[in-house]
Amino acid sequence: MSENDKYYIERCLDGHPDDFRYIVRRYQGVLLAHLAGKLGSRDRAEEAAQESFVRAYFNMNKLRSPGSFFSWLLGIADRVAKEHRRKEMLHQQREVIRSFSAEAAGPELSQDYGLEAAIAELPDSYRRVVLLRYYGGRSCSEVAQQLDLPLGTVTKTLSRAYAMLRKSLQQPGETENCEVQK
Amino acid sequence: MKCAECKESLVAYLEGLLAEDQKHAVTEHLKDCHSCQAELKQLTNLQERLVSNGKAATRSDLENQVLNRIIREQKVRLKAAEKASEGLKLRRLIMKNPVTRVAVAAAVIVVAAIGIYSISEPAITFADVVEPILTARTMIFDYIVGDEQTGSTITDTISGQRIRRVMANVPTMNMIIDLDSSKMLVLDDSEKTAAYVDIQGQVQERHQSFVKFLRHVITKIKDNHQELGEQEINGQKAIVFEATGPNERVKIWADPETAAPIRIELTLGQMFAVMKNFQINPPVDDSLVSMDVPDGYTLAKTDLDMTDVTEKDFIESLRIWAKVIRDGTFPDEISSESAMKQVPVLGAKLTALNLSEQEGTQMGLSFGKGMMFRQVLETGGRQCHYAGQDVKLGDASKAVFWYLPDGSDTYRVIYGDLSVKDVAPEDLPK
Repeated sequence: MSENDKYYIERCLDGHPDDFRYIVRRYQGVLLAHLAGKLGSRDRAEEAAQESFVRAYFNMNKLRSPGSFFSWLLGIADRVAKEHRRKEMLHQQREVIRSFSAEAAGPELSQDYGLEAAIAELPDSYRRVVLLRYYGGRSCSEVAQQLDLPLGTVTKTLSRAYAMLRKSLQQPGETENCEVQK
Repeated sequence: MKCAECKESLVAYLEGLLAEDQKHAVTEHLKDCHSCQAELKQLTNLQERLVSNGKAATRSDLENQVLNRIIREQKVRLKAAEKASEGLKLRRLIMKNPVTRVAVAAAVIVVAAIGIYSISEPAITFADVVEPILTARTMIFDYIVGDEQTGSTITDTISGQRIRRVMANVPTMNMIIDLDSSKMLVLDDSEKTAAYVDIQGQVQERHQSFVKFLRHVITKIKDNHQELGEQEINGQKAIVFEATGPNERVKIWADPETAAPIRIELTLGQMFAVMKNFQINPPVDDSLVSMDVPDGYTLAKTDLDMTDVTEKDFIESLRIWAKVIRDGTFPDEISSESAMKQVPVLGAKLTALNLSEQEGTQMGLSFGKGMMFRQVLETGGRQCHYAGQDVKLGDASKAVFWYLPDGSDTYRVIYGDLSVKDVAPEDLPK
C-alpha cells in the first residue's frame, strides 16, 4: 500500500497489466462491500466486482485524474450493479411467467449483507469514508489523505454515518437521543 | 465534560485520535455516565461488525480472477485489432492507386475462387442435416478459409445458378458468378467499375463441383456418417455429425429439432475451412445476382484469362512469391491461407515497382491463378510436397516442389531456379 493509485495506474497505462493486481488488492474489499450492499449476495457481488475491475482496466485511459480513481471505480460499479439488477429482474420476470406463480421472488438479501445494504444507502460522501475505512483497510488519517479532507471531518463524517447506519439497521436497544443527520 | 461533548468525541476516542488530555476527560466522564457508556457500547458493536465484515470482504481472491479475465480479454482485443488493421491495410492499398487496385483485385478474385469449392469426388456421407441446404433455392452463408480468428470471412449469397460473393476485407469488391454461362462479373463499388471475367475451365468446374458435392451428399445421407452427440455452440444446442473420406473430413453442427445447419468444418488435404451463419431460402433480390452492369458503373476492358490453370502458371506464381514478395527467397509455406495473406504485400511491392496498370494486373492475376494449380493437386488428393523453405530463387540444386501428375509414374520436380524435371519416385529428394 505504499504506492498511491496514480503510480499503479500509470504503470498499467505504460503496459504493465500485472500491476493492476495492486489496484485490485487495494479496492476489492471496498467494491465487494459496495456491490454486496446493492446486489444482496456475495456471489453476485463478486461477479459484478470482477466485471467492474475489468471495465476499469480497459477504460483507464479515459480516467482524467488518477487521484479520483476511487470515485470513478465506484461509478463503474454502480453501472455494473444496475445492469446486473436489470438482468436479474428480467430473469425473475421470466421465471414468474414460466411458473405461473404470482409470488415474485424478491432479491433475497441475506442477513449478512444488511450492513452493506445500509452502507449502500448512505449519501455519497459518507459511504466513501465508511467503505475506505473498513473495507479498504485504511486508518482515519489515510482516509483523510486520500479524500483530501481534514482529519476532524473524517471522524465527524464517521460519527454521522454510524448514526445513520444504526437507524437503518434499527439495532435493538438503540438510544432515543441518538442524533440523526439527514 | 458534558454528555454532548463526550458523544461527539467518541469516534475519535475509539480511533485513538484524541490528545492525552481529551482522552483522559472522556475516560473520566464515561466512568459515571450510563448514557455515554451505552452509546460507546453501541458504537463498539457497530464498529466490530464493520471490521469483521471488512475483513471477510478483503479475504477474497478477486485479484487472480480479475487478472485472468484481463489477459483473456486483451488477447481477444488484440486479435480483433490485428484483423481490423489487416483489412484496413489491404483496403488502403487497393484504394491508393489504380495499378495496385486492379492487380490486387485480380489476385483476390482468383484466390477467393479457391476455397471450399475445391472439392473433388467427395467420398463422404452425412445425416439429414444437409437436406435443407440441398433443397434450398437460395442460401446465404459465411465461410472462412484457414484460421477462423485471423482468416478473412467470405459471404456467399446463392440464388439458383448465381453466386454473389463478398470478402470482408475488401467489402467494396463484389463478385457475381453465373454458373450457366461460366462468367464472373466483378463490381468495384468504390470506383464504380465493372468487369466480366471468363471462368470456363477449372475455375468453373470448382464452382460446379460444390453444387455437385451437395447433391452427392444427399444421395448418400443415410449410409455412413457418425453421430457425435449433442454439443452447445454459441449458446445454441446442436447435434454433431462427422464424416471422413480418404482426403477430407467434414464436421456438421445442426439444430437438433429442425436439422438446419449451424456450422460446418471442412478439412480437405491441408486446407481447413469453416462455414457458418447459414440462411436457408432467404429472399434474394434478383438485382443482387444480376449479371448486368449496374447503372452508373463503367465497364472496364479486361482480358483476364481464367480458362485454364497449368504447371506453368504455378511456376510463375512461385516466381512472383519468391522474387517480388519475399525478395529472392521462397516462402515458408504456400497454403491458400498464406497466399491470401500475401495479397496486400504483393500490392505494396507492385506499387514500389512502378508497374503499368496492365503489368500490375497481369502479375496479380498470375499470382492467384498459379496458386489454384496447387489447390487442385492438394484438394484432389494428388501427391504433392512443398520444400521451398529457406531456398533461394535460382538455386538449381534444391527442389522446391514436386507432385505426381494424374496417371504418371514419375514425379514432376520444380527446383529453386524454377526448372522442372521428371523424377522417379525412388530418386525424390528426402
